Amino acid sequence: MVDAVFLALSVLTIGSAIVALEIRSLIYGSIALMLTLSGIAGFFLLLDAPFVAMFQLSVYVGSIAVLILFTVMLVRRELIFNKIEDKRRRYAGIGLMLALMLGIGMIIIGSGMKSIETNSPSVDYKKIGEDFLTYYSPALIVMALILASSVVGALTLARREDMTNDQRTD
Amino acid sequence: MSTIAPQFRLSRFIASLTDIIFWVLLIFSLVGLPIVFIVLFYIKMPLINNQLLTPYLAMTWMADPSRTLPIIKTLLHTTFFHVLAFPGFGFAALLAAATIFVERKFLAKMQLRVGPLYCGKIEGILQLMGDGLKLISKEIIIPAKADKPIFWVGPLLFVGTAGAFVSLIPVAPGGWVVANPSVGLLAVFATIGFFPIISVLTAWAANNKWTFIGGLRALHQMIAFEIPLILSLLSIVILTGTLNLSQIVESQQHYWWIVFTPISAIVFFICIIAELERIPFDLPEAESEIVAGWLTEFSGMMYGLIQLGTYLKLYAFAGLFTVLFLGGWNGPSVWPPFPADIVTQGITIGPVTAKIAGLPLFDQQMLNGTLWFVIKTVGVILLILLPRGVFPRIRIDMLLHTGWYKLIGLAFINIFIALGLLYAGVLGPGGLIQ
Repeated sequence: MVDAVFLALSVLTIGSAIVALEIRSLIYGSIALMLTLSGIAGFFLLLDAPFVAMFQLSVYVGSIAVLILFTVMLVRRELIFNKIEDKRRRYAGIGLMLALMLGIGMIIIGSGMKSIETNSPSVDYKKIGEDFLTYYSPALIVMALILASSVVGALTLARREDMTNDQRTD
Repeated sequence: MSTIAPQFRLSRFIASLTDIIFWVLLIFSLVGLPIVFIVLFYIKMPLINNQLLTPYLAMTWMADPSRTLPIIKTLLHTTFFHVLAFPGFGFAALLAAATIFVERKFLAKMQLRVGPLYCGKIEGILQLMGDGLKLISKEIIIPAKADKPIFWVGPLLFVGTAGAFVSLIPVAPGGWVVANPSVGLLAVFATIGFFPIISVLTAWAANNKWTFIGGLRALHQMIAFEIPLILSLLSIVILTGTLNLSQIVESQQHYWWIVFTPISAIVFFICIIAELERIPFDLPEAESEIVAGWLTEFSGMMYGLIQLGTYLKLYAFAGLFTVLFLGGWNGPSVWPPFPADIVTQGITIGPVTAKIAGLPLFDQQMLNGTLWFVIKTVGVILLILLPRGVFPRIRIDMLLHTGWYKLIGLAFINIFIALGLLYAGVLGPGGLIQ
């Protein structure tokens, strides 16, 4: 049962990832990207991590994909996309991907990951939160600082000096 | 005499009904029964109590009155029933349909109109059925330059997402919920995140400027109000220490969370109205500006599906408000207990005593819980309907200002109140008030 679901999810994820790269229509490409990200959420569900799966859905599908849709729909595509059709580049990309996957796969298989016990009970999300606030608290603080600085950076970039706000707010 | 069908005769109507029944029986016995037996020939039937379960035996068991109730009882606890009927789609669709009718009459009374009146003699009670029949029988028109696959799938996805949302709402104690994941509240957030995508994609697919403007408005509005919505619920999660909706309901046996987190409740309520695109936040379908917004090009049952999805979403949000702030199914026990005599001694009518096995069908707690849940949810739904008769539509910049500045700030205030209550040892696990 799990194997069939795993296979279906793999086909969905990889297939829609290829579609997202290859299809001409940008809208369909972003829909395919959403399917890929949902497929990854499905993998997390299979791995007994519903917490991560739900965050994957609400952050990646619910926000990131919406941002991509926004950009695709609102910006004229000649401005951001420059079409270069090159057969050799495509084959080079496929070759590079295969080499990377083979390399990473060999490392993972050789690292003794296969001997990990898979029947252990799933980790509770409360435990993750506890660890984050005690042992990994420096990492949490660094992440928070990075996020805050990127938000501030985005606000600074988006701010325009030459425009006055003449809309009433009352 | 009806003005719609002046040639109506009751006798002809009854005659046509008997005609239909006759043909159905004839076709079933000539075609249906042989097909059933051919199919049964190929299915391996199980052995029960060393008896082969033939269809004849199964029918005998079903017709046996002493076995009927236990069979129904096991049926009630199957996932199939949960999804289709009680805590799932059927129940929600029934409440949603009632909401549409009540909304029309309620708003009419508020504005000194009469509302639906003619259909069904008594206060237009059959208006909804008439509207449904009209929508089903109407032609579905698809714009020539529309992007057809997305346009077709849009309404289905909308209803599907709304149904997924409905399935997460716990209705009564004892497992009366379709899906009960340990991260229920996160699942709700994940489900809500799909609505803006669906609306903007269908709006784009219809290839019409009104739909596209409406879709972009919907996207802006929903994204802006999703953040305060999530933040306002964090205080509940902090206080209860769980994300499971059933456990959140169980934690409110003595106090409703609205007592401790009133600001969150208000923020959440405003966000509900914005997420549901209702007045005063109905900019995505502002009918006086952009025809019907992102619904402009939908016709026939496609529009009907979107409408069904909208009201399912309304029920689900009202149910979520009840579950999180108003104590869900908790309430004083007002449902009368099932008379014990009937269970132990049976019903005596004259000389005959009938003892029915499997009674009571539902336990008292479940009925009581459902009653309180429905009462509270209907109250919240009426509160959501109320602004439609009172307020005008607000401007988009005011809407976004409200969402991004005011509501997020208010939601944070209540998070700090919740944290204070937790660290002062008043509430939460191990607190003074359990």
